[in-house]
Amino acid sequence: MSNRYVIKKIIGALLTLFAVVVFNFFLFRIVDRDPLSKYRGRSKLSLEQREAMIRRMGLSGSKWDQFVVYIKSTLRLDFGRSFDSTRPVLREIADRLPATLILVGISTALTIGIGLYIGAKAGWARGSRFDRVSTSGTMVLYATPEFFFGMLLLAIVAGRTGWFPTGGLRDIGANYGFVDSLLDRAHHLVLPSLTLTLGYLGSYSLIMRTSMLETLGEDYLTTARAKGLKESDVMTHHAVPNALLPSVSVIAISFGFVIGGAITTETVFSYPGLGLATADAIRNTDLPMLQALFLVASAAVIFLNLVADLTYGLLDPRIRHST
Amino acid sequence: MSDSVASISPRGMTWARRKRALARVWRELRNDRSGFSGLLILLGFGLVALCAPLIADRSLLLAAAGRNNPDLAGPSAKFLLGTDDIGRDILAQLVWGSRVSLFIGIFATVVAVLIGSLVGLVAGYVKGKVATVLLAIDNFFLVVPFLPLAIVLAVILGRSPVTLALVIGFTSWAGSARLVRAQVLSLSERGYVERARALGANSRHVILRHILPGVAPLIIANATLIVPGAILTESTLSFLGFGDRLSPSWGKLLDGAQSSGSITLNAWWYYLPPGLCIITVVLAFTLFGRALERIFDPRLAGR
Amino acid sequence: MIDSTVLKVRDLYVTYQSSFGPVPAVRGVDLDIALGETLGLAGESGCGKSTLAMALLRLVPPTTQISGSILLDGQNVLTMKPGQLRLVRWAQASIVFQGAQHVLNPVQRIGAQIDEAIQLHHGSTSSTVREMLALVGLSDTRADDYPHELSGGQKQRVMIAMALSCNPLLIIADEPTTALDVMVQAQILQLLDNIKRERGLSMLFITHDLSVLSHNTDRVAVMYAGRIVEVGPAEELLRGSIHPYSRALAESFPIIGDPKSRHQPKGLAGDPPDPNLLPSGCPFHPRCNVAIDSCKSIDIKLSAVAKSVDRQVACVHANDESRSVK
Ligand SMILES: Nc1ncnc2c1ncn2[C@@H]1O[C@H](COP(=O)(O)OP(=O)(O)OP(=O)(O)O)[C@@H](O)[C@H]1O
Ligand code: SF4
Ligand SMILES: [Mg+2]
Repeated sequence: MSNRYVIKKIIGALLTLFAVVVFNFFLFRIVDRDPLSKYRGRSKLSLEQREAMIRRMGLSGSKWDQFVVYIKSTLRLDFGRSFDSTRPVLREIADRLPATLILVGISTALTIGIGLYIGAKAGWARGSRFDRVSTSGTMVLYATPEFFFGMLLLAIVAGRTGWFPTGGLRDIGANYGFVDSLLDRAHHLVLPSLTLTLGYLGSYSLIMRTSMLETLGEDYLTTARAKGLKESDVMTHHAVPNALLPSVSVIAISFGFVIGGAITTETVFSYPGLGLATADAIRNTDLPMLQALFLVASAAVIFLNLVADLTYGLLDPRIRHST
Repeated sequence: MSDSVASISPRGMTWARRKRALARVWRELRNDRSGFSGLLILLGFGLVALCAPLIADRSLLLAAAGRNNPDLAGPSAKFLLGTDDIGRDILAQLVWGSRVSLFIGIFATVVAVLIGSLVGLVAGYVKGKVATVLLAIDNFFLVVPFLPLAIVLAVILGRSPVTLALVIGFTSWAGSARLVRAQVLSLSERGYVERARALGANSRHVILRHILPGVAPLIIANATLIVPGAILTESTLSFLGFGDRLSPSWGKLLDGAQSSGSITLNAWWYYLPPGLCIITVVLAFTLFGRALERIFDPRLAGR
Repeated sequence: MIDSTVLKVRDLYVTYQSSFGPVPAVRGVDLDIALGETLGLAGESGCGKSTLAMALLRLVPPTTQISGSILLDGQNVLTMKPGQLRLVRWAQASIVFQGAQHVLNPVQRIGAQIDEAIQLHHGSTSSTVREMLALVGLSDTRADDYPHELSGGQKQRVMIAMALSCNPLLIIADEPTTALDVMVQAQILQLLDNIKRERGLSMLFITHDLSVLSHNTDRVAVMYAGRIVEVGPAEELLRGSIHPYSRALAESFPIIGDPKSRHQPKGLAGDPPDPNLLPSGCPFHPRCNVAIDSCKSIDIKLSAVAKSVDRQVACVHANDESRSVK
């Protein structure tokens, strides 16, 4: 991969990030003319307290002054205080970030891995029983809101059998040793990550299936067969590596969906991560939290897109070797 | 100018051609099992949504309507699908909910398709700075995670169903803009747009008469595939607290089911029906849309 | 007695299944290629040359119907089990494909692509990637290249190296120079010729360009609408062809490098027939300038001509005195 390609992609990502930051200002300071009016406790504020709050939120002065203040504090990662808990937003986010990272990380890895596998197999054996069953299955998965899926899992697995906890990050009040505590957390992760994984499996497998179908007629597959390769090797050594390429860029775009899915999934399972924080912030109209959460989600997606672009560069020798 | 001189017969021919094309689409749709069943399901739900007032009285949605009923009661002769946590008839909410869900889904799609087609047409037709800027904006909306964006917009702009529809439309047009632009470019490459321009036709004429007809089938198929996404987004936003409890969509019903603890209470009649309705309608739209795509774009046949 | 026939094809029919119904692309072909012999196969685009080539290793789509027999070194390819077929592919017969642009995997190094075949069949010989590249005149540093880093001619050399890597008895070269420019065409033809001589290989050399065949083939077969219409020793046939189609083809040696001449040989009006809509009688009659009334209804079989033992022709005029003498 040439340096120029890498640098170009990194600069592109930074520009998009900057655009998001500006857009964020636009939303919360211009579309919303009076953010403070959304603060529920405002009636109890004294005049001085109100003034102080306006100053602290950077709401005084001209729009340009506000913009400068906003950019400066964003660079310092200072997002103000939560309307709800009155703690610094950064602290709230830092506290909840790990839980979400684990959940989204596991689910993304699983959903991409399983989705690509099913899609590749279905596309390769197009029209076969496996193709028909898996394609109908993935269409139904695609049509199911992931939170409804989570509710079903809760009702069936957790509610009926009690095999899994119905929510939370860990057992409250229990006093476990290190290993038990890890196991306990994993136990709490099973249903949420299953929900998120199944929720987005459909899109990934449909993407890969399409990509595979486009590869089926390629001449190099005939070459591979002529050489005497087994069909399964023709598929794994030749068809899949080529079909992966177009998938990678489409997959990059869909990272945003999994991140969106985390919001509802965490809500269903009361799993205390950034998703649940978002749901709470919606119900409390907690603008400072929402503003920061939006930035974090966008930054995450932009970062994952960058990773996908660089992966694409690694996978495709036509880019890797270009100068 | 050239338009008015030779207006009668070419236009008549155009109409005849369109009618034939429409007949072909209908024929192929009839033969497409999954696409046609999707269409039938949609017509069924559309009928229920239109006839909602005949099936259940709107007053049944009011909070007061449930006052004398048992809360979270299971299905019975009186309440075919039981009652919710404040005693309201769930079937009535489901029937009226189809209106809200379908309305928001379709209205949002109209907004998305309008913005997307406009941006796509212009970005494909003009060259230079305007196109670059439009593409950059399009790219931005493709990258920014759209659910968080929709959430933020809805919080700022308000929580009513109409606002939700606008917000969803405003956050889901980027894909169609891409599609439309690509199609415009491929139409221009075939050269007859250049010819029309050389004959002195102005841009408006070229876009309306030459490009739009070529892009329209694609836009229609694409729109049919945006609706299910919009319905899913609406249900997600409602589930997260937006929308109106007194005129609930299916997503809002799920929100109620979740927050009232119906799951731990085993009140399946509360959460199961709205979820199944969402799945069915989304699936039907997807099947129908994919069938249209296959018919309009023969390259996709056999997929 | 040791049978020196490497390839013996009898009554081969290949029928594709398409959404418009069956497509009979090859309709009753007999072919023999002896050890060390090169058979040239010529015909217009669409007459079934590639179909025939692919059918020899059963590389046609799975829905395709094949009947007849294909004896490769005495074994019938058409009745082999899949495992046995895979062993025969490349080890007994390999293919230099038409259109080198897309036949190499774009995301795999060419060394690995050659090596894949060697590893698969390494029982027979243990040539190395380096040797194979040297054989076709490429430096061994090329092994680490990807296909997009090679020119068209270099890709075709890689394809040839790959085809030779398992030391097959027979090489099927399907228009190996079509996509290349004139200079490179000559180089590749020369390369194939040298290798063939050195190794004593048999070859089926497919082309639409009869002029290419004059130098390097022992016998020539002319194909029309899925059938062989004339076959005979190369020099004899190229000097004086008997079948009206071969004549038209020979008279119009396409101008090298001119893509148009490929599709419509000069002096031959009309298009080759669509395999779905074959004319009645002799399939060539709509374009034949010496057709007689019976040609519309009677289809003449390929049969020996009186003049020469080695020649066979499918035409009512095959034994006309005036035509066979030239
Ligand atoms: N997979 C297929 N399905 C259906 N028909 C096919 C298929 N492949 C080839 N054909 C048809 O079979 C006929 C013979 O094709 P073939 O590729 O063998 O011709 P060819 O002589 O090699 O032509 P060219 O010189 O262009 O390579 C053609 O009419 C072609 O359209
Ligand atoms: S059989 Fe008749 S039509 Fe066919 S090639 Fe001979 S003369 Fe021409
Ligand atoms: Mg061919």
